[in-house]
Amino acid sequence: MMKTVNLILKSLVLFVFTSSSLPCFAQDDLEKELATTTPGHQKVTSTFKSTKLINGHSNETLYKNDFDFKVDHRFGDIAGNNGGIKQFFGLDNSTDIRIGFEYGISDHLTVGLARAKGATAVSQLYEGSLKFRLLEQTTDNQVPLAVTLFGSNTIAAVKASEDPTSATAYNKFSDRMNYVGQVILARKFNSNFSFELMPTYIHRNFTAFRDQNTLFALGAGGRMKFSKRMALVVDYFIPFRNSADKAYLEEKNAAKFYDPLGVGLEIETGGHIFHINFTNATAIEEMQLIPSTTSSWTKGQYRWGFSIARRFSFAKKEKEPK
Amino acid sequence: MKKLIYLLLYCTIPMVAQGQDMLISKNASVAFFSSTVVEDIEATSTTASSVLDLKSKNIIFRVNNTSFQFRKKLMQEHFNENYMESDKYPYSEFKGKITDDVDLSKDGNYIVNVVGNLNVHGVTKTYQTKATLTVSQGTTTAKATFRVRIEDHKIKIPTIVFKNIAEFVDVRVSAVYQPKKP
Repeated sequence: MMKTVNLILKSLVLFVFTSSSLPCFAQDDLEKELATTTPGHQKVTSTFKSTKLINGHSNETLYKNDFDFKVDHRFGDIAGNNGGIKQFFGLDNSTDIRIGFEYGISDHLTVGLARAKGATAVSQLYEGSLKFRLLEQTTDNQVPLAVTLFGSNTIAAVKASEDPTSATAYNKFSDRMNYVGQVILARKFNSNFSFELMPTYIHRNFTAFRDQNTLFALGAGGRMKFSKRMALVVDYFIPFRNSADKAYLEEKNAAKFYDPLGVGLEIETGGHIFHINFTNATAIEEMQLIPSTTSSWTKGQYRWGFSIARRFSFAKKEKEPK
Repeated sequence: MKKLIYLLLYCTIPMVAQGQDMLISKNASVAFFSSTVVEDIEATSTTASSVLDLKSKNIIFRVNNTSFQFRKKLMQEHFNENYMESDKYPYSEFKGKITDDVDLSKDGNYIVNVVGNLNVHGVTKTYQTKATLTVSQGTTTAKATFRVRIEDHKIKIPTIVFKNIAEFVDVRVSAVYQPKKP
């Protein structure tokens, strides 16, 4: 009995020693040495390609010293009463135009300035914004979500209305201020699919009679890449309105409120990003498109729009180490 | 029993010896340069790793593609996403052998020929280059440069940026090795 145990032990020892020494001759063993050097906690990059989806922001910010110039355009209704061939499917009209500049103060903080026409009576808009990347998703899922904060202040420069019930009957300068605060929670599920949620707070210092000053909304957006440089982008917002005020306004304006939905094609060429999109929202600024969209997809009141973004890098050349 | 001891000794000796002959570098540097009339592009990684086996003269260099640092971060993003496809091919690797008969246990400068396979973007190609090895007081330094043709590794350059990226990219590698700790 003891003898067999001994033999087994001996052969076991022999096996361990031979197997540990022999592979040293092979190159595989060198590879084994390298296996331990794999870095952990790598940041997930390009959850989205642009700082914006269609109507909403993405979690992306610019890199330090990057400058982004962007033009957004929304045409008139494609179909419905105001569309069709007579208006050349909306191309004769433009409901909103926005020209925006963004600059990366750091890899985490982007500042923006923009001018938009504005789609409702609240027009001639100037927007200042700050966007801060709070958390970045990691490849090992130690951080499973990316979190970005967005805040903007939009000032309406339109001439004040005489009608005290109107949305533009401004008495003082601060009446013209509108604020948007957003927490953008994004996750890149795989190299082709990313999704985000955008809990949104909107405060308008002055609104039409019985319109809400403060409004909460929830946005969702996604990007589905189908080729190396092209992707389908979608975003949607649900504003949470007070139902009594909503009914009053809908009756008074003889127009219902609808949730803005945008669907678009994103084309990336390395430096340029083009969006060709369809949305029922007439406005481009968040403070306007989320609470004031009164056009519906089902009535043909969707439009095509586009955005062109060009990014420039002003990254300084690092000094060569001597 | 005696036989067994001999056998054990025989087996363990090469293991110990191998351990001492194995040199490792965990912060090797890999840099590349692309130069055209329109634009000069360069990127460096200082977190590459390399192992050199003095006995078999096998050498491996491995670099994590996402560790390359570019001056323009957007370029770095494009490099990983559109050109290297780093999520599919996270590493670039060179596995080769020093073909000259040199004794690297003595201090000195050696210029040696290295032949091996370079795997970039999932495509393997054989390369041959000259490397400089410096052995001094227990540390070994290796340096080499070679040219890589982007097309050889099936990295597609879109026509729109064709003028910005060179057809051949110069790669410079260097490593300072320490003996493997037993």
